[in-house]
Amino acid sequence: MGELLVEMTGISKSFPGVHALDDAQFELRAGEVHALVGENGAGKSTLMKVLCGIYARDAGVIRVKGVEAYPATPKAAQDLGIAIIHQELNLMGHLTVAQNIFIGREPHRGLLLDEKALNRKATELFEELHILLDPRVRVSRLAVAQQQMVEIAKAFSYNSDVLIMDEPTAALTDTEIDELFRITRTLRDRGHGIVHISHRLEELRQISDRVTVMRDGRYINTVVTAETNIQQIISMMVGRTIFEAAPELPEDPSQEVVLEVRNLNRGRQVRDVSFQLRRGEILGVAGLVGAGRTEVMRAVFAADKPESGQVLINGQPVAIKNPGDAVRHGIAYLSEDRKRYGLALGMDVELNIVLASMRRFMSRFGWMHARAARAQALKLVETLAIKTPGIGQRVKNLSGGNQQKVVIAKWLTADTDILIFDEPTRGIDVGAKSEIYRLLNDLARRGKAVIMISSELPEILRMSHRILVMCEGRITGELSAAEATQERIMTLATQRQSVATAGPETSTAMSVGAN
Amino acid sequence: MQTTTASTSRIRTLATGESVQRLLALGALVILLVFFSIIAPNFATLENYRNILTATASNGLLATGVTFAIITGGIDLSIGTGTAFTSVAMGIVAVNWGLPLPLGLLAGLASGGLVGLINGTLIAKAKLPPFIATLGMLYVTLGMAQVLSDVHPIYFTDPQPALQDFFMGKPIAGIPNIVWVMFGGAAVAWVLLNKTVLGRYTFAIGSNEEATRLSGVNVDRWKIAVYVVGGVFVGLAGIVLAARSASAQPSQGMGYELNAIAAAVIGGTSLAGGEGSIVGTLIGAFLISTLGTGLSVDNVPQQFQYVITGLVVIGAVWLDIFRRRSRA
Amino acid sequence: MKLTRILGLAATAAIAASACSGAAASPSAAPASQAAASQPAASSGTGAASAYTPPTDGGAAKGKTIAIVSKGEQHAFWQAVKKGALDEAAKLGVNVTYQGPANETMVNDQLQMLQNALTNNPAAVCFAALDSKAAGDLLNQAKSKNIPVVGFDSGVDSTIPVTTVATDNIAAAGLAAKKLAALIGDSGKVAVIVHDQTSQTGITRRDGFVAEMKNHPNIQIVSIQYGAGDHQKSADLAKGIMTANPDLKGFFGANEGSIDGVLDALKETGNTGKIVAVGYDSGQQQLDAINSGAEAGAITQNPIGIGAKCVDAAVDAVNGKTLPKTIDTGFFWYDKTNINNPEIQAVLYK
Repeated sequence: MGELLVEMTGISKSFPGVHALDDAQFELRAGEVHALVGENGAGKSTLMKVLCGIYARDAGVIRVKGVEAYPATPKAAQDLGIAIIHQELNLMGHLTVAQNIFIGREPHRGLLLDEKALNRKATELFEELHILLDPRVRVSRLAVAQQQMVEIAKAFSYNSDVLIMDEPTAALTDTEIDELFRITRTLRDRGHGIVHISHRLEELRQISDRVTVMRDGRYINTVVTAETNIQQIISMMVGRTIFEAAPELPEDPSQEVVLEVRNLNRGRQVRDVSFQLRRGEILGVAGLVGAGRTEVMRAVFAADKPESGQVLINGQPVAIKNPGDAVRHGIAYLSEDRKRYGLALGMDVELNIVLASMRRFMSRFGWMHARAARAQALKLVETLAIKTPGIGQRVKNLSGGNQQKVVIAKWLTADTDILIFDEPTRGIDVGAKSEIYRLLNDLARRGKAVIMISSELPEILRMSHRILVMCEGRITGELSAAEATQERIMTLATQRQSVATAGPETSTAMSVGAN
Repeated sequence: MQTTTASTSRIRTLATGESVQRLLALGALVILLVFFSIIAPNFATLENYRNILTATASNGLLATGVTFAIITGGIDLSIGTGTAFTSVAMGIVAVNWGLPLPLGLLAGLASGGLVGLINGTLIAKAKLPPFIATLGMLYVTLGMAQVLSDVHPIYFTDPQPALQDFFMGKPIAGIPNIVWVMFGGAAVAWVLLNKTVLGRYTFAIGSNEEATRLSGVNVDRWKIAVYVVGGVFVGLAGIVLAARSASAQPSQGMGYELNAIAAAVIGGTSLAGGEGSIVGTLIGAFLISTLGTGLSVDNVPQQFQYVITGLVVIGAVWLDIFRRRSRA
Repeated sequence: MKLTRILGLAATAAIAASACSGAAASPSAAPASQAAASQPAASSGTGAASAYTPPTDGGAAKGKTIAIVSKGEQHAFWQAVKKGALDEAAKLGVNVTYQGPANETMVNDQLQMLQNALTNNPAAVCFAALDSKAAGDLLNQAKSKNIPVVGFDSGVDSTIPVTTVATDNIAAAGLAAKKLAALIGDSGKVAVIVHDQTSQTGITRRDGFVAEMKNHPNIQIVSIQYGAGDHQKSADLAKGIMTANPDLKGFFGANEGSIDGVLDALKETGNTGKIVAVGYDSGQQQLDAINSGAEAGAITQNPIGIGAKCVDAAVDAVNGKTLPKTIDTGFFWYDKTNINNPEIQAVLYK
């Protein structure tokens, strides 16, 4: 490994209400691929955005090639030789490949652009990197992997010493990943330093020289990839978090199955998903961001049309063609994005509570049964302890936790038997969280069937009677409350198909560890 | 990695995207011309084709100019009443002050550029939505035209007869010079849009403004430039309008912006940004004036002309959306 | 809009007349005999015969097309002009096309309409210019194609039109003076509120009124004031005149805004019905005042006549007849007694 390209020490960064980075550190040398790993929200992307001039640090020292440097804009970082390839690609779809790569640096003759020279330069660049791409094709016509190549070529064309790739493999197929790694190695062998942010632990051995682990915005450790194994990395990622109380209710297998999903498919995000849900249970769905958990539930709810698969309610196959059908069959979906999908923010609490069951509160001629609606709203505000000055209060003026309760009240009013909660505690403060937990337990105790998607492992472990773990659109494992640990969930959540050839039933932490 | 050869990609580019819209618009134009030639007795005459060209001149220029703003994902509503402002500016310099006509023309172009500069600054620097900024400037330009002229038309007839004599003169093929001004302006616009950095960034901003900014392009400055270009074309349109009536009309132009935007949209420019072409816009402008002239020559009452023009605009945008959806 | 037009017209020394709000003058003092002859309920000016006799037959123009490009198509006034033209065309066996811009600022749009009309090679063109100086280029085109042009309503600042069909404001204002004189017993003090002293309509209506009053030696015009056609300002001026002349017997308001101001002033000072008010054009307030007796009566122009006469003139031009330089289209005196006559109702607007 070569000279020290980047050295970050004592980096802290706060956003309102969140301590995103706390005394984090990182170093990158020329000629290495340095993987940066951690759970969702561990601070990997934030740390790299500080390096790239997208965020300003609150504290800490950054040295680039030994010189203190604090780029204030992406352009300044670029001038220092630092380029980032974002998870969401930053390309101009209407322009061609070559036009994208050299945007801002177009060769011209006099006042006019020299398109020939532009395409020639792009061709030379692709030859150097052994990328097969036509520089004259519009970027919007390329596959995601090809677009990523364009981004890499663009970053390379700036003569960047430091190339940061944020989750570059997230959307790629295996062959595409091989190609990406080949180019990554080419760049490394030429002496570039590459930061590889990833969730996919098994690819670390393939591509990285060193691994830095982060957790909760803090630096945990940096290890040489060849001298470690995935189990060690996973335990560094999850740490030794002390769990709160175990699930309040034991799983009761004797209860009848109210919802069964068989062989559901939709694109890459929902692949052959089958599971059962019983009355009175809370089924946790764990997985990393992008594992397809939300997509599965949206497909069940017909918010997105599944390509194939069957849904059975109380043992009977049902045709759910749109969310309206789903509601009629007693399924409620409580979106993770409450504000966009779950609530009419400008309307009052009362209206939001009766919104999904309007028919019950309407007379034949479209008049609202105001008294009945009012009574229902008042009852639920009391039962759920929604903190609001009154049911006439606009929902947007409530806190996150109370907004979530209004959503729950809405579906309780609709009297649905199956409630799917997608990240029910996201953006809710700790005090309100435990109230939501209490509510979920209450619902299960009253015989409702609850699915809870969550990215917070402690939450999954605390609440679920049973846990499904997903990775890349597939269910990679099912754990009972008794067998579940953070490590086991993490192992299943990072179990990519290429590794888990034996299938979900037999794939265990051991088989991954042996890889 | 998939490789795409240059030739196939070019065929694909030709067969998709805005070029299809352009072909559709061109097809519609041809169909309209044939249709009117059959049903309207005086339509298929050389004179009428010249008339259509003449009728297109001012709208063609406005539409060409606004195409830039629309490609960036913006809009410019001030171009219609902007013509009142720029032609009054011309009149003040060339008539009220009695300066030579070329200076008057220059004042027309410069005042247009000034309106564009204000539009661009409001949008790029003050971060006003383009719709709001230019809506405001619609009223400001109209008001300023009336204030500066004291709501009197300024007549060029006497002191500056050369304005009408030259621009409405017909040295080539019996076509008035304002038509050649339009074609010349469009040619310049085509070069700007397709062969210069300005055009490249116009598309880039409309395609993905944030990505363009992150690539180190000074997006604000280029946005301002785009509106200035549009403003200069307003100045050209102002000259054309003043030449036709031999006067600067301080109350003209309300509604012209909508005709121009319609022309651009019919020609395949996407209001979502990133797509558009000068050729398409010109075809759109010709389509609108062919429709107007044809219906008028065929004695279709005006109220029906409005209805039909509206349906054409809706049809064009619907086709655009339909095409997008089928491609996605 | 109105202001633009009036100022625009003021810039020209030519004939100008206006649609609904104000009218302008024709130098000829041709009286409104047509109105008197065809509408017994209406009273006309001097009663002398018009210099122009309309054709009774299309002649060589039969089956040919006359293109009319007016100032508008949407307003009641212009609808009436259109109706007059279409009826007359049917009578004479000619075809008529009628076009007008959406509002009276659209000078260039109107020019395009004229251009379209010329492209169609009509037998004749009738043109009511929004801006009488802006159409020179197209008029030359018409001349080179030997298409006769008839100016109407406000005329065209050019020698090309074979005639101009418009309201004779001098005569019309004279009739207003005569009526007012009769209503106050041919003696006493009267005052005039005019919209302005620069526009053709303001000047000709004022002068027509003053000229007629010279025939009534016992009547004294104590004041002529200019209120910009604004209610409020006209009312203030009228009040001032009443204060200075407590024995005032009559008012003439030369356009809608002026007479509305006079009516307001009479009401506020309790003089309604005591001082005789005579107005011009129509409008809701004026119509109400005439119905209630607060206003004695008013002059209205004749849009149907304008439409009919311009078709007549066009037909004559096609047939090679010599036309007078201007053709008066007639006007009406209307008061409580005839306001509900269909002929009068047809030319009033609210």
